[in-house]
Amino acid sequence: MYKYTIEPFQEMFAAPDFLLQVLWEGLVSGILYALIALGFVLIFRSSRIFNFAQGIMVVFAALTLVGLHAMGVPAWVSVVLTLVVMLILAITIERVVLRPLVGQPDIILFMATIGITLFLIGFGEIIFGGENKVMITEELGIPTDSFVLEPWGGLLILEQKDITAVAVAALLVAGLLLFLNKTRMGRAIRALGDDHQAALSVGISLQTIWVLVWFIAGIIALVTGIAWGARAGVSFALEVIAYKALPVLMLGGLESITGAIIGGLMIGMLEKLFEIYWGQPFLGGNTETWFAFVLALIVLLFRPQGLFGERIIERV
Amino acid sequence: MNDPKTGDILIHWEETMKKLLKLTSAVALGAVLGTAAVAQELYAPNLAYRTGPFAATGIPLMNGQADYLNMLNARDGGIGGIKINSEECETGYSTEKGVECYEKTKAKAIVTQPWSTGITLQVLPKTNVDEIPILAPGYGFSPMADGKVFQWAFNTPSGYWDAASMILQYLQGQGDLNGKKIAFLHLDHPYGKEPLPLLEKKAGEMGFELVPIPVGLKEMQNQSAQWLQIRRERPDYVVMWGWGAMNAGAITEAVKTKFPMENFIGVWWSGHDADVKIVGEAGKGYKSISWSFPNPDAPVMADIKKHVVDAGLTQSNEEEMSGVFYSRGIIISAILAEGIAAAQAEFGTAEINASQLRWGLENINMTEERIAELGLDGMVPPFSTSCSNHTGHSGGWMLEWDGSKFVKASDHLMPDTSDYAELIATKAGEYADANAPWPTNDACEG
Repeated sequence: MYKYTIEPFQEMFAAPDFLLQVLWEGLVSGILYALIALGFVLIFRSSRIFNFAQGIMVVFAALTLVGLHAMGVPAWVSVVLTLVVMLILAITIERVVLRPLVGQPDIILFMATIGITLFLIGFGEIIFGGENKVMITEELGIPTDSFVLEPWGGLLILEQKDITAVAVAALLVAGLLLFLNKTRMGRAIRALGDDHQAALSVGISLQTIWVLVWFIAGIIALVTGIAWGARAGVSFALEVIAYKALPVLMLGGLESITGAIIGGLMIGMLEKLFEIYWGQPFLGGNTETWFAFVLALIVLLFRPQGLFGERIIERV
Repeated sequence: MNDPKTGDILIHWEETMKKLLKLTSAVALGAVLGTAAVAQELYAPNLAYRTGPFAATGIPLMNGQADYLNMLNARDGGIGGIKINSEECETGYSTEKGVECYEKTKAKAIVTQPWSTGITLQVLPKTNVDEIPILAPGYGFSPMADGKVFQWAFNTPSGYWDAASMILQYLQGQGDLNGKKIAFLHLDHPYGKEPLPLLEKKAGEMGFELVPIPVGLKEMQNQSAQWLQIRRERPDYVVMWGWGAMNAGAITEAVKTKFPMENFIGVWWSGHDADVKIVGEAGKGYKSISWSFPNPDAPVMADIKKHVVDAGLTQSNEEEMSGVFYSRGIIISAILAEGIAAAQAEFGTAEINASQLRWGLENINMTEERIAELGLDGMVPPFSTSCSNHTGHSGGWMLEWDGSKFVKASDHLMPDTSDYAELIATKAGEYADANAPWPTNDACEG
């Protein structure tokens, strides 16, 4: 029992530089999980749609950026054009897929997002091909060097692109919170999330809000795609990282922006700590595959709405 | 305009449109001609994966395979005067879809090419009943080498245990492995676990410590936990059994954590140019064992250019064609073609069936002379198969990334097959017992 309960903590204190590195890696992963989860939450809040296509939107945005740059478009112009593409995508999805399905059961809308996923996979592969592509990290001015620190005489490597990812994600989240709380459109999104019927009755346009939230999800997808693509290239394999957002949503609650952020950070850091100090020494490693789901399930046992979700009481 | 790192999307789009136009015309023409006569052909389907998380590594392989057979069809009218239909069935590397593809294609197929260890393991018992040879060059279940037990399965020209044996030999050549530590970074999938029995056996015999480190499918692009473990364990070497995005993820992390690249070796599926190009110069010294090597000056490349590329039949591009994986695709199709040719010569008919192809694949004799005759100079080591030896154990070369491409870093290495002959027999026997009644080839005396 001692080796499972006390020894891991002794190891943490014996090599604090290593513990810091573990926490840093967890923080970077966590903030990226939170970003993906945010995309889900925004769309769910405003439309009750669980957007299965969020993962492929990350791939599509990253591929568009890299593809435009490959055609000779300067890096930052490519970013702007990619945002235009994501806006067109949002408008198209609203017009072609969502609008005809207004009033249909949630499961129909969920199935429609699976259809969007399949379409974007096929369409993306026709246009961009399935090969792995290099993210234009340096062209975007993102530094690629590392800060090598020696706390307590040890070693701590902080990649500058990870620091940039954390900073940009934090700015994006702050901007998003400001937008949702301080602007008219932001309040309209929140109003739709709180009460659909009431929001519609005061003249909030469902179509405009849907386009807006899908576009914001597209912006988040682009930032996520740049951050993840800088790690191991841009390919359709990026899509699988969306699954990492599911336990974040279970933990944080499907409707809570705060929940997505805190849930993402918690899962990122806890799964890394568990993997390094318990998973690898005692369970053969690769516990990150399931740890977040188990943690989320435990939370759901006590709080079925997630840590920050709203408790729904239906009276019959 | 043309960024070599990312490829030209415009050209890709234009090519795609041209191909769609050609395809439409071909389908229309086929519909007209199809009513008049049914063309004779040998049906050799490929359970390909050009989509999904592993597409980046699948595409160049599939392109190499298709281009070689298209070249034979255009240059020689096929093999022995009969064209090869190498239709692809898309699996996305999914085992379930792979099994569906197998079922869909088996009625006419003379061979099945499952393209994943997971799919291979699933269709292995089925092929024994359906009597269709599995061609799984350089992958699949290592004991498939035992042709007496696995009559219908071929992992020619080299298996995973050959790879592990050659890597250990190479490392031993760098200094005694006794007392050393080797981290085994592998995909948490049947493929990634395949060399473990041999590595565990050799760890005991050679006195090194083996630290297996699995990487889940969802963690392929974020291996920070695995590389933190590597930092903590401080291994002397990291041996990788990676695939798809896992390779690029691992190489990026190795650079980030400043692991000495010269002590980092991958199996042949972890030696894809595009994966290492992501880190470029920083990946210098990274190695990969390989039974194939690109030779742009080989006559086969000129023939492919003339009959396939210039005719607008390829889906590849110049950069991809100079890489290790495209050339491996060529070799894989060349192995199939040699099996077909051998069977045609033995049975005196161009229209061979699956059973006859099995004989052909058991009688491949790829000598240096034959390799030169096929125009594959320097692209594959010599090897031969028999009814008892379905692998061929060709050996290979240690390739090294020089900052922009892979170069040969060793002479021809040969695996020490005597080291694991018993293990092959034991594991093959265990498989047969577990799947009893399992028919074996008792007539084979090789």
